[in-house]
Amino acid sequence: MNLNYEFNWGMLFIDPARGWILDGIAMTVALSLLAWTVALAIGTAIGSMRMTRSRWLRILGGLYVEVFRNVPLLVQLFIWFFVFPLLLPRDWMMAWNGLDHVPFLTALIGLSLYMAARVAEQIRSGIAAIPSGQFAAARSTGLSEFQLYRHVIAPYSFRVMIPAIASEFMTTFKNSALALTIGVAEITYAARSIESWAFRGIEAFTVASATYMATSAFVVVVMGWLERRLRIPGLIARR
Amino acid sequence: MGFDWAVIQDNLPLLMRGLWNSVQLAAITVALSFPLGCVVALGRISPRPWLRYPATILVHALRSNPLILIVFWFFFLVPILTGRPVGDFASVLAAFVVFFSAYFAEIVRSGIQSVRRGQLDAALSTGLTYAQAMHRIVLPQALRSMMPSLATECVIVFQGTTIAYVVGMREFLHTTFLVTERTMRPVELYLFAALVYFVVCLAGSLFARRLEGKAGRAR
Amino acid sequence: MNEPLVSIQNLGLRYGSFRALEDVSADFRRGTCVVICGPSGSGKSSLLRCINRLEEFQDGDVVFDGASLRACQDLPRLRSEIGMVFQHFELYPHLSILDNVTLAPRIAKGRSRRAAEETARRLLDRVGIGDQAGKFPGELSGGQQQRAAIARALALEPKLMLFDEPTSALDPEMIAEVLRVMRDLARNGMTMLVVTHEMAFAREVADEIVFMDKGRIVERAETARFFSAPAAPRAREFLDRILHRL
Repeated sequence: MNLNYEFNWGMLFIDPARGWILDGIAMTVALSLLAWTVALAIGTAIGSMRMTRSRWLRILGGLYVEVFRNVPLLVQLFIWFFVFPLLLPRDWMMAWNGLDHVPFLTALIGLSLYMAARVAEQIRSGIAAIPSGQFAAARSTGLSEFQLYRHVIAPYSFRVMIPAIASEFMTTFKNSALALTIGVAEITYAARSIESWAFRGIEAFTVASATYMATSAFVVVVMGWLERRLRIPGLIARR
Repeated sequence: MGFDWAVIQDNLPLLMRGLWNSVQLAAITVALSFPLGCVVALGRISPRPWLRYPATILVHALRSNPLILIVFWFFFLVPILTGRPVGDFASVLAAFVVFFSAYFAEIVRSGIQSVRRGQLDAALSTGLTYAQAMHRIVLPQALRSMMPSLATECVIVFQGTTIAYVVGMREFLHTTFLVTERTMRPVELYLFAALVYFVVCLAGSLFARRLEGKAGRAR
Repeated sequence: MNEPLVSIQNLGLRYGSFRALEDVSADFRRGTCVVICGPSGSGKSSLLRCINRLEEFQDGDVVFDGASLRACQDLPRLRSEIGMVFQHFELYPHLSILDNVTLAPRIAKGRSRRAAEETARRLLDRVGIGDQAGKFPGELSGGQQQRAAIARALALEPKLMLFDEPTSALDPEMIAEVLRVMRDLARNGMTMLVVTHEMAFAREVADEIVFMDKGRIVERAETARFFSAPAAPRAREFLDRILHRL
């Protein structure tokens, strides 16, 4: 197959390509870790809101999840980038525009809030999957609602939810690529830059793909290690 | 600063054409990607290693990459491989079909594996070939249990069409962007776009949830 | 026709390092009903599943009606001469009872729909559920489902019937109706291999009892002798436990 293409892998290791790649990877990792952490916090809060006895909290939580899950992430990023500043009072808007790293912050907000909705949904279905007998048994021994969640539900569901939480990190990591549309120089953006600057698309995209795939493999390994460390014997049947 | 909602009305035909492009992209993607996913899924569960390994590697590779990167790959590679410039739509469609086939493959695979082994055994024991048994007995049952996940995946495909924006395809988001550039009214237009996506995707999710309820009761 | 219908020769089956069957040899004559019993994990089901090659055994061979299984090139055709009944019935839930029974004759043996349905209705009548033909498996009781499964297996006019714990998943009240059908089959000369814990059935219907333990045949004897004086200690132990439960 005559590919009609000259490979030049060496180009990746000298500037400016090398610089772009390293900055890109750093940006991707930073954005993903921060967004994931914030998403876990917000998502846990909202997921818990949906399990409380208060009807209003449950509705509010449900509304949040439905809105943020049913609007595509790219549209959400555009709204935070183009629309949000215009809706602020004049002074706040000037302050916002004057900040360093506006695209990064915008992407961080957009990505976190989107992922938080997903995390909230995982939490809710994780808790819902606990056999109701557990609740009954714990309550009958006199534990308060709070103690019930702290000592019985949380440890159990935490272990069961580890795979879901880990895969949410990977989803965040992959979704960080969308930030390139609002000017965040993460790894896919870097690859695109190399492609348009030197037409070395295959090499550049290979680096980007390798970043995502290596991270995915790494997360799988870490998750496996975590599962083994925290395993509840006999809970997850191993064939 | 006042809102000028008329800008939506004035540009509605153009915006709706963009929306129609999005729907088309999603529909054709599903129509091509699902059968491809079935093939890959059968490869994934095949007892023959020379089918199983490539299928598994393909699925893992595609699922580890963001869709936007896969789109860039295809946009760059397709002209090189075919030797001539290919239109936007063909490259984007190819990228989407290949990408989502990996996700459909996983849904089909777990659907097939959720059918009791005994069903396959019973079919084989009456003298059906493996192909006949899969076709008549296993796949119909698998499909029934897959419906909710398939519906959800279709919604995800539709949401994914926004990514075609980055290569200039005139889908709904890109059209909204162009109108915004011309009319300088991002607030009204992007909020409208969000609303449209919200309504369509919510309808899809609710439909998927209803299917799940039905599947649960059928047991 | 004095040669055995089924001849099992030094059969060995392994799953990884676990030996399910170890050097098993046995001949089964036409027209006999043999009950295979033993503790769980003894390899009874595995043995049955090797006979129609649902399990791929590593060592030895099974010769069915003169043809070697190991060398068999047309497995579906061979399987259509052996009927199998499963513990969990395994009727196809998305097909009616009639379709369940006619599917294999139509597709695997190429019979016409009319001919297949005629045969099916006759068999369903014979097992006592002729009026349920239009219903779906989910609408039938366990006993009715298992009888339908027997009719499905018989639709191919097999030379041999394999029963893998046919009543173990049934409510006690329904066991009798299924055993009645099986006894009926045996009395009409069908060659049957039955894995079961139903010792009363074994005593009444079986010509021979085979006792297995840890992947080997430990004892094989005519029914009367097995129940009165089993030779192997393991078999004696098993019989004691099982009969005391009665």
